[in-house]
Amino acid sequence: MVELQIGQYIDMEYGGAARVVQELGSGGQGIVYLVEFNDMQYALKWYDIDKIKNPAAFRKNIETNINDGPPSKQFLWPKYLTKPLSTGGFGYLMDVRPKNFDSFVDILNTYKLDIDPLTGRAAKVPVQFKNLRAMVTAVINIVNAFRQLHRAGKSYQDLNDGGFFIDTATGEILVCDCDNIAPDFANFGIGGKPGYMAPEVVRGIEKPNVQTDKYSLAVVLFKLLFRGDPMEGDKVVKDICLTESAELRHYGKEAVFVYDPNDDSNRPVRGIHDNVIKFWKIYPEYIRQAFIHSFTTGIAEPNKRIIENEWQKLFVRLRSEIITCKCGRTNFSVQFTENADHTFRCPKCGSDTPSMGFTNLDYRVPLYFGCRFYACQTERGSDDFTAVTGELVENKLKAGMIGIKNLSQKTWRAKMPDGKFYPVGPGKGFPIWGGIVIDFGDDAKAYLNEANLADAPTSPNDPT
Amino acid sequence: MSEAMENAMANNDMLLDELDDDDPLNATGVSRKSLVIFFLIDTSGSMKGTKMGELNTVMEELIPEIRRVGEADTDVKVAVLTFSSRVMWMYSEPIAIEDFEWTRLRADGVTSMGAAFKELSIRMSRNSFLNSPTLSFAPVIFLMTDGYPSDDYKAGLEALQKNTWYKYGLKTALGIGKEANDDMLAEFTGSRDTVVHAYSGGQLAHLIKIIAVTSSQIGSKSMTLADSDHELGMEDVYEAKQKMLGQQIQEIVKSEGFDNTIPFDTGW
Repeated sequence: MVELQIGQYIDMEYGGAARVVQELGSGGQGIVYLVEFNDMQYALKWYDIDKIKNPAAFRKNIETNINDGPPSKQFLWPKYLTKPLSTGGFGYLMDVRPKNFDSFVDILNTYKLDIDPLTGRAAKVPVQFKNLRAMVTAVINIVNAFRQLHRAGKSYQDLNDGGFFIDTATGEILVCDCDNIAPDFANFGIGGKPGYMAPEVVRGIEKPNVQTDKYSLAVVLFKLLFRGDPMEGDKVVKDICLTESAELRHYGKEAVFVYDPNDDSNRPVRGIHDNVIKFWKIYPEYIRQAFIHSFTTGIAEPNKRIIENEWQKLFVRLRSEIITCKCGRTNFSVQFTENADHTFRCPKCGSDTPSMGFTNLDYRVPLYFGCRFYACQTERGSDDFTAVTGELVENKLKAGMIGIKNLSQKTWRAKMPDGKFYPVGPGKGFPIWGGIVIDFGDDAKAYLNEANLADAPTSPNDPT
Repeated sequence: MSEAMENAMANNDMLLDELDDDDPLNATGVSRKSLVIFFLIDTSGSMKGTKMGELNTVMEELIPEIRRVGEADTDVKVAVLTFSSRVMWMYSEPIAIEDFEWTRLRADGVTSMGAAFKELSIRMSRNSFLNSPTLSFAPVIFLMTDGYPSDDYKAGLEALQKNTWYKYGLKTALGIGKEANDDMLAEFTGSRDTVVHAYSGGQLAHLIKIIAVTSSQIGSKSMTLADSDHELGMEDVYEAKQKMLGQQIQEIVKSEGFDNTIPFDTGW
């Protein structure tokens, strides 16, 4: 391949030239350089055209994607094409990844390498999510990014751990390597990364498409939550060496999920797959079932794979089932003991965390300092999982009094101990008490005790 | 609180965590597949001078470059076997790529390649260098030589060919200068495609890097689709990676347009 020299100028398709500043990294299809173009810094992906089947069609597809624009702001999308060199080499510019994002690979490794530029020696720096909410938010964001992409009629084709950057403090994500994204049913030669490819692609009977993306997405989600390979268990490890035929069997023809309820031949191995063994016990049943479905039924029946919207709902629920107990223990509500009054008892310190029921949700939302309600929970018909509409706070004037603050744009109504409903405008709050009922409007309500719903007004126009 | 007490409490906390660890954030790194890259390097007297200097320098530079090839999936380790009058490992076991430090090699003596093959066949075993408890990729085996073996290489090669790791391994060879025999090297790799020849110092550096990076990436990087009009069977994937490697190496050599007319040993 033709490598670029530092300081070299590369002509851009629509005029001007980008100057190569330094190499940032290399991948299966080429090298990424830091470049300057019009006084701005960009990343230039420069292709090894020998590794691309039909460079002209590949380039044309990137051009189409540039013109179409990104499906959401979560994509590090191609921005400008370079002119092809006489040798055929070409590339495209994209934004540089912001510093606060870590690569998914580093998150899976739990560290990144800090390399001394002088000696080339590497030191390990830990990489971990700041808190559980950030981690589950990252999962929701990944799912949502692919929902947007698939809605735009395109497939990613090469979903793998190298394709994401994540802000471990907030759960914001960036999808990179967007150059193989193609209209559904089109493919420009990419197969995918071993371990992430759908079984039908491994078997050579299907090319990457939206349905194979869904399989790869499930692998990515599994890796992020369970920190292991969904298909690598006893059966695979016994082979010792992952030869080509072993790969074809274990990831294609005879793929068996490590927790397949009807086939225990491939269970995780203690000492090798400790993460998976530990985390499988921690997640609630509905999450486990979703992965069981993905990696049993979903292996042979691509059309039955879990759709992104379904994943999104499951993980929004999971995020709302996080409890940070008074003692500091943070975990999902299923790891607490649920009492008859729907409070959750901490097995470590014994204190109880109350929870709210919602008329339009089939799960309880635990209440602890800093817990949040989202638009998709308080507003009927909304699937907005980012807009925070409520938060549990302490009254600034009365220490110890806890209440809920309305962070939405709407006026809610809350039932007070006198049995009457009072309006709670945006930015206002109200204390929590045993008989509380919150009327978000549009027949969406929340309560501590379901019995109190009975005498709640059915419409916000009822007398207060 | 005394320091000793604090330490004791910290130890206690750790113990508690281990006993009852249900923290969803507390993960260890994902279990990685192990990949050992074997470099078989001719350090006989004829390698003295520019060849050895070039090789030492490129190997020093290469280590940081292949550090990230495995990414999250692969634990890359390196083992270096040198052969001249004696056969010697640079380190007594494969070393993790993050910790690997190149020790500059010196050239002297004859070319005991057969003995090197025999030694490799012994070490490429579950009980020796390939003892990772996790799943392994087939090893990458990269031979570099500038001359003809001075011992019975066929006997060594026979021993090697009986080794299953060798059979599934990704084998490449680099002939340096005009004395190196490509037919003999092809016997080692199993095909002509995976043998390349360097005739100048620049080529040597370039080819070592390309071959090492390419061969260690096969299997862990995204790959292009195989042209196939039927469901793949075991026979379709047999030696698929070795073939893919040969193809990629040939494409690289072709696209670089190496000038083979000026021998390594002349024109300095």
